[in-house]
Amino acid sequence: MASLNEPGTTVRAPRAPWLTLKRRETIEGWLFVSPTLIGFLIFFLGPLIAVVFYSLSEWNLLSQDTIFVGLANYEDALTQNPDFWQVIRNSVIFAAGLVPMNMALALALAMALARPFRGVVFFRTIFFAPVVTSAVAWAIVWKFLLQGDAGAVNQMLATVGIDGPNWLREPNWAMAAVIVTRVLKMVGLNMILYIAALQSIPRDYEEAARLEGASEWQIFRMVIWPLLAPTTLIIMVITTIGSFKVFDHIYLMTGGGPENGTLVLAFYIYQQAFEFFEIGYASALAMIMFVIVLALTVVQLILRQKGST
Amino acid sequence: MKKGGLTMTRQGLFAAGVVASALLAGGACAQELRFTVWTGNDAHLAMLNGIAEGFRESHPDVTVRFETIPAGDYTQKLTFQIAGGNPPDLGWMFEDSIPAFIAAGVVEDIGPALRETEGYDLDDFSGPAMDLWSDGDAVYGIPFSTSPFMVFYNKEMFEAAGLKDPLAMAEAGEWTMEAFRDAALKLTEANDAWGFEFKDGEGYDSRIMHAIMPPIRAYGGHAWQDGECGFDDPEAVEAVTMLHGMIFEDQSIVPPGEQGDFFSGSAAMTVNQISRASKMPEAGFEWGIAPLPTGPAGAAPIIGQAGISVFAQGDKKELATEFAAFMTNAENVAVMAQFFPPARASVLDSDAFIDANELIPAEQMAYVSDAIKQGSVLPSHENAPKILAAMKPRFDALFRADADVPATLAAVCAAIQDEL
Repeated sequence: MASLNEPGTTVRAPRAPWLTLKRRETIEGWLFVSPTLIGFLIFFLGPLIAVVFYSLSEWNLLSQDTIFVGLANYEDALTQNPDFWQVIRNSVIFAAGLVPMNMALALALAMALARPFRGVVFFRTIFFAPVVTSAVAWAIVWKFLLQGDAGAVNQMLATVGIDGPNWLREPNWAMAAVIVTRVLKMVGLNMILYIAALQSIPRDYEEAARLEGASEWQIFRMVIWPLLAPTTLIIMVITTIGSFKVFDHIYLMTGGGPENGTLVLAFYIYQQAFEFFEIGYASALAMIMFVIVLALTVVQLILRQKGST
Repeated sequence: MKKGGLTMTRQGLFAAGVVASALLAGGACAQELRFTVWTGNDAHLAMLNGIAEGFRESHPDVTVRFETIPAGDYTQKLTFQIAGGNPPDLGWMFEDSIPAFIAAGVVEDIGPALRETEGYDLDDFSGPAMDLWSDGDAVYGIPFSTSPFMVFYNKEMFEAAGLKDPLAMAEAGEWTMEAFRDAALKLTEANDAWGFEFKDGEGYDSRIMHAIMPPIRAYGGHAWQDGECGFDDPEAVEAVTMLHGMIFEDQSIVPPGEQGDFFSGSAAMTVNQISRASKMPEAGFEWGIAPLPTGPAGAAPIIGQAGISVFAQGDKKELATEFAAFMTNAENVAVMAQFFPPARASVLDSDAFIDANELIPAEQMAYVSDAIKQGSVLPSHENAPKILAAMKPRFDALFRADADVPATLAAVCAAIQDEL
């Protein structure tokens, strides 16, 4: 029997199997992520790319007439359409009013409800309930409460001698009304995030600061607030994006009025696409909104990074 | 035996083939028409299905499926069905959306087919009623509902205010805009209610045109004509100034931001169509209907319309047109008249129509009939959605106590002129 390793014979190394452990793990990995990936490609990336192309066309949905117009939709929105800048202004006012109010109230509620006490679950539920309440029901009830003289809010104000405005009929008051009612609707979500963050801060830090003679305000400012910073950033980003995308609340409470005083970007896009059937123009506006939200998010991330260094 | 068995098998196969062919042939002949409507009312749908059953007498293989889309979403969903390549065969069309659909070429010209249909008599439809739905000889829809706006009033509140009945005033030729304003003020003072409520309480929002057009036309004005805005014409300014005075000086019309429902007794008068009479038995008070008040330009009845159109993208256009013709022949228009006032003169003049609505007495229905014959539809335009959207913020500014009416109406015209 000849030896396998006879001198002078060439020994061919056994061929490595194609399905190596690494390859197998790679394939398995792709298979695991494929449901999400396919969904992402079909329902997110695909439409996003399509919107870019639509935004370069003049496409009337009803007549199905489509003309390539290049950047004309963007040019019209940015330089010729006076409503567009009012819409941007309204969106900025809405966000500037809603984000700080929402975050401050959420933090205050979280500080009050983070520690266990008798009935804490009841109060947390009360403040979180509007988040899971139907947006339609919420808006209709508030619309009813905010009527002119006959509205419950104004009747309550009248009992203390205040002549309340016609909330949803005067542009400035209407904007204030939709901001406050939106904050009341959504503050519970941020409150829960802050409660989770507060509960993850070790009590030792507070106790150490207290032993050092720090006041409650100093403990909050020097210990708790810096440790809440990552959560604050996340909340700020989510709330800002949400405020620029607000649609249902405006649609149901004011329809963008009065005098276009609450006509915000998402509602304006809806109006162009689904009332005027100008899909190309609406797509250009949607791209502008995408860029604004993206820019705000990047700015907030940069500020956060600068803050942490 | 074997041979016989084979023969039996062949016969069996042949018989099965015949049955299968017959079934397939039957399947090929059976056709379904999809018809979109915005009513979900059981009585309306029963009536429509009854008409479809009648069509089966001449077309036994044809079924009609009525698909309800809520009115608020109707035009939008219909547009998406058409854009998505899944148009219905026929559908109801709103008066304010038909011009855009005609301009986009998505509704079929059924005029030639209707003229060739034996006994159809297209000329029986009154000319003004067909204005919106035709262009020369082309016919893009047939109005199945031509319903005038009437004043609904609470008789008990009129009595409490010591006022003459509006119907009696109309018969005496005294039911003018001045009389209307005076009545609204006295009704407000005499009752714990508003004198007047705009249609469905939506006069400051979705029903702006319903709110402003009756006085504007009664004063001899118009919204737009031949591409020119008419809101800033003196007649329109005078009419809207009167309306503004009623809201903010007299405080006799339910103001913006308040609710005052006629049907629950918190307003003494409103404007609506006779289909709303179905709500009156639940109202619990004596009521009546009267024509719109006259103005310096005389009587100017306003009608709301809805029509039936065949969609150009449909693959059964010929059959759909046949059904549209069947549905709007004199016999079926008379059937539909119980809910939808007709545009066919022969039906309109018949006693059957005058007696059609059991809630409204014949003498009041006679005014409905007159209004249909003399009335004109609300202003329409192929750019109506953009025009109304441009008008809305300017009218918001108009409906404020300190508004400068002429300047605001001039701003309305400036805002919509490009779309006209």
